[in-house]
Amino acid sequence: MESELTPSESLKLIETMIGQAKQSFHRNSFYFLLWGALLIAAMAVNYLMAANGDPRGNYAWAVAGIIGGISSWAHGAREAKRKQASSFMDRVMRWLWMGFLATLLITMFGSASSGHGFSVGTIIVLTGLPTFVTGQLLRFRPLIFGGILFWMLGAVSFFVDMQTTALLYVAAMLFGYLIPGYLLKRQEDGLRTA
Amino acid sequence: MAFAPLDPVLHNQLRLAIVSLLVSVEGADFNFLLEKTGATRGNLSVQITKLKEAGYVNVKKTFTDNYPNTQCSLSAKGLKAFETYVGALKGYLGA
Repeated sequence: MESELTPSESLKLIETMIGQAKQSFHRNSFYFLLWGALLIAAMAVNYLMAANGDPRGNYAWAVAGIIGGISSWAHGAREAKRKQASSFMDRVMRWLWMGFLATLLITMFGSASSGHGFSVGTIIVLTGLPTFVTGQLLRFRPLIFGGILFWMLGAVSFFVDMQTTALLYVAAMLFGYLIPGYLLKRQEDGLRTA
Repeated sequence: MAFAPLDPVLHNQLRLAIVSLLVSVEGADFNFLLEKTGATRGNLSVQITKLKEAGYVNVKKTFTDNYPNTQCSLSAKGLKAFETYVGALKGYLGA
């Protein structure tokens, strides 16, 4: 790689290198698959236990949160060790999801402890934001549509009963998180072996 | 019309490739640059040193799992030089 460059060759080289470096270096699909599966399971446990009059179903959220938090942290640490470069996109996504987590926790604990009641619809709508933005950043349509789906189902959930809201939550998680996460994993696996 | 001279530090295929890669990332290690540029270890090392001496690239040597790891990132001076270089190229190409 050592020769005299013409101006047009220089520009082409710059474009090629920037194109190669621009991609995200993080495997993001892991988080969508993990959290999608965990939160669907938590909602299913919560729903079934509540249907049987058992209020302990709420603990399923805490268990899902702890398992998801530890797994996400371990995965992030392993990825940080493995990856050879860090892009600005990775940083934007990291802080977008950390900001979402803070918003989610404040909303959940605030509404629960103030007695205003916990709204699953609000959670669904909020989840649409980072999902949609991540889809746009990665230019990955299934996540963009996933984010829009979260907003649509979240909006509907304000006008239906709790049982229907639970089903809408599972549908949003399945079609907005889990399936796009699976498709993203396939794309990442393809990029890795290419 | 007089054309702006092209920065001789950047007007080199491998050095330009390194800086173009670094302009898009926060930081990259030696192996990343090696893989993306397709250069030899020796040549890459020499060109990184030249960029470092020009003040265009920050180099940090660390150890990961007992293996030496060279982390490179673009300095503010390097970014400015890159922007000036691209501006000069556009002048040549009439863009």
